[in-house]
Amino acid sequence: MNTTKTIYRIAIMWLATLVLSLAASTFGEVRAQKPIDTKPVLNEQEKRLFADFDQRVKDYLEQRKAVAKKLPSLSKEATPAEIEAYQKNFVERLRGMRAGTKPGYIFIPAFTAYVRQTIQTEFPPKDKAEIKQTILEAENKAVPLKINYPYPESQELTQIPPTLLLKLPTLPKEVKFRFVKRHLLLVDSDNLLIVDYALNALP
Amino acid sequence: MNRIYRTFVTLFLALVLGLAVNVSGQKRTNGNGDGKVGAPTVPRLTLPLQKDSVRFVLIGDTGTGTEKQKDLANLLLRSRQAFPFEFVLLVGDNLYGGEKPADYKMKFEDVYRPLIDQQVKFYASLGNHDEPAQRFYEHFNMDGKEYYRFTRGNVAFYALNSNYMDKKQIDWLQSELAKDQSAWKIAFFHHPPYSSGGKHGSDTELREIVEPIFTRYNVNVVMAGHEHFYERIKPQKGIFYFISGAGGKLRKGDVKKGSSLTAKAYDDDMSFMLVEIAKDSMHFQVISRTGQTVDSGVLPRQKTVTAVVQ
Repeated sequence: MNTTKTIYRIAIMWLATLVLSLAASTFGEVRAQKPIDTKPVLNEQEKRLFADFDQRVKDYLEQRKAVAKKLPSLSKEATPAEIEAYQKNFVERLRGMRAGTKPGYIFIPAFTAYVRQTIQTEFPPKDKAEIKQTILEAENKAVPLKINYPYPESQELTQIPPTLLLKLPTLPKEVKFRFVKRHLLLVDSDNLLIVDYALNALP
Repeated sequence: MNRIYRTFVTLFLALVLGLAVNVSGQKRTNGNGDGKVGAPTVPRLTLPLQKDSVRFVLIGDTGTGTEKQKDLANLLLRSRQAFPFEFVLLVGDNLYGGEKPADYKMKFEDVYRPLIDQQVKFYASLGNHDEPAQRFYEHFNMDGKEYYRFTRGNVAFYALNSNYMDKKQIDWLQSELAKDQSAWKIAFFHHPPYSSGGKHGSDTELREIVEPIFTRYNVNVVMAGHEHFYERIKPQKGIFYFISGAGGKLRKGDVKKGSSLTAKAYDDDMSFMLVEIAKDSMHFQVISRTGQTVDSGVLPRQKTVTAVVQ
């Protein structure tokens, strides 16, 4: 009788273990599918700063849109000559529309200070050193710090470390952040026009 | 008697050694009868060529337009006779320097014209020397996008822009991978999350962001360039990592000797990697500009990548 009870107990325990491990495995699957959070954590002041920045970028996009709609659209299977002609037309017309725009039109001092402060305080020393190294090793010293000028095609386009990008406002696909030495640039993705720049954003 | 015996043995050894040297020498000549050191007419390939397998090439940092890039492209073309691959993955730096129409012609079209004419498709990702406008170029098959996905058979390929891994791209990657039922998932992009390169090394900032996504969603293989050599990394968190960035430039001797990351490395000459995925196996063979096989092997498909022992 005692033996039967023991076997019964072992069977129950085995079943319970099986059910628990299956549950854990399922739970694990569910956890595994949870996406990684990519939203930066901002205080109220930073939220206002980002909103202001977004609006300034939108203003540029409006100008850009006005120019783009007058251009023939570029095919997804374009020839190099078509790409070049499109970029050239785009840049010329945008420059005309944006003539007289001053640096700091988008990168207001408070925004540049935020970038500097973020790099300075949000990363451990090792990460900060790697971010700086990635940015400063780029071969792009010949890029002119002039808005409304094209970023020279022969110059390397700096990789922006993704850990830093995730702490900056998310830009629409039409523009990108770039670093040239310690200076932060906003560059048009399609025609490489330098939309704005901020000096010494990299501390 | 002993003297005769010793003489006989010496002659025999000399003959064997002489033959060995000759065989070794033949391996290094180009097989065209001109005695020059270079690629054989068709490299000796060991890939299985199984029915319905997915066959492709991995090559990176190509866009120089130099004679050496052309040598390697010619070898690639000849390899296709024995290994009829369907497409080529370009892991960035597709055009160094200028990007005028003449540059596209000299650094890409003229170099790979015979392959283009044979309907071989090139799928590009962007490197730090590439303008985003390359995404519109007809022969890069990027569909106007800086990051994109395409499939062949049971394999899904994710071309990423490691130059600008922003929130949008990360969110896109996660959402695509979450619903991807493909047996194999391969990500290819420019900057290597792991590398034994002396000049660049592992891109740890990028790795911090993408590796958790790759492990979470069971990406099997990651292919990169940026380093101008070949390296197969020991599996990291169950994922197979390759660097094939010597398609147009070479950084000779740049692989750190004794690196704990290296499973196999080659930095003596330029190279490309042939890949065949057949059911649950990925076969690969890496060919140098002189036609030598510098690495080869078969990798099993991981059911969940973290299950693979490092």
